[in-house]
Amino acid sequence: MQKDLESKFLQDFEQNQNIVHKICRIYTTNQDAHNDLFQEVVIQLWKNYSKFRGDSKFSTWMYRVALNTAISLYRKSTRTITTQDIDDFSYKIQSIEYDDTEELQLKALYKAIRQLNDIDKALIFLYLEDKPYKEISETLGITEVNARVKMNRAKDKLKNILNP
Amino acid sequence: MDLETYKKSWGNQQVENTSVDIYKMSRSKSSSIVKWIFIIGVLELIFWTSLNFMVPQKYLEFYKDFKVMELIKVSTYVHYVVILVFLVLFYKNYNSISITDNTRRLMNRILSVRKTVKYYVYYNLGGIVLSNAVLIFILLGQPKDLIKAMNADGLNMEANEVITIFIVTSVIMVLVMLTIIWLFYRFTYGRLLKKLNKNYKELDNLENLN
Repeated sequence: MQKDLESKFLQDFEQNQNIVHKICRIYTTNQDAHNDLFQEVVIQLWKNYSKFRGDSKFSTWMYRVALNTAISLYRKSTRTITTQDIDDFSYKIQSIEYDDTEELQLKALYKAIRQLNDIDKALIFLYLEDKPYKEISETLGITEVNARVKMNRAKDKLKNILNP
Repeated sequence: MDLETYKKSWGNQQVENTSVDIYKMSRSKSSSIVKWIFIIGVLELIFWTSLNFMVPQKYLEFYKDFKVMELIKVSTYVHYVVILVFLVLFYKNYNSISITDNTRRLMNRILSVRKTVKYYVYYNLGGIVLSNAVLIFILLGQPKDLIKAMNADGLNMEANEVITIFIVTSVIMVLVMLTIIWLFYRFTYGRLLKKLNKNYKELDNLENLN
């Protein structure tokens, strides 16, 4: 029984782990912190997996757990940071014809998002992931109207950073 | 450039999957703030509770002559009941924390656990101040006995002097305790909850707009 649950979890996680990576990228600024947060998200996901009933999609559930961990549970690592800054990493674009414009855009986007506060980061992330307002408001625990108001403000902030 | 263009790039990004052992990782120890709040909370509850048990019997003997033993006994029983209530509240609040809740409710519940402990400490501090105030009041009503008890060695001291020493000592004791506790909070919860408090305010303010 436990073995089944484990292998199901690993399978579900594998298919959706890019969600966690993207969240770690916007909430941390170096590789050590990224790995720390990633690990904490994995721990929380597994700890709660038995309670996941499947009445929502696994990915929806994962968004919630990963964002909650980043916003509420995760504490910045106190270890001395020796690894390189994440900005030095290249962001890869999945496209048939290689074009570095998108890659540069992505780099600028991540850099801009990191300057937002934690809640705005979550809002912008959910917008970029194309989530409907209903899901956004349910994930954060605010009304849909407020989610819209707040989203517009967050978008304005982001635009200002991207196009000063 | 509008955000939609960036959104397109976002959708096209390729995130490399890690080669780490997820299975092993999922079993590693959590370092979440909830865990730390729980640990610190339990330690605080133990500290304050044991502090009451550590009061030496000799200290109580001091009050024997003042006919307050009944009062001390009753307040001790009340105190045990209060400890129990706090323990139940602490456990209930901690147990209600669920990472799968929405963000706002999750933060609210984490802060509730912290609040339970905070109120427990307030209760203890209040208890110390109140019981000292009541005792001082009662003792001052029996000045002869007080001087006898305070000045057991029969030193040549004025009555006023003895009473002043008694009051000053009590006040200093409470002040020292308050300072230690304030510093303790600054270094534990203050650091632990700085981010959470900020984020909670951000979401909560928003909800109170309407």
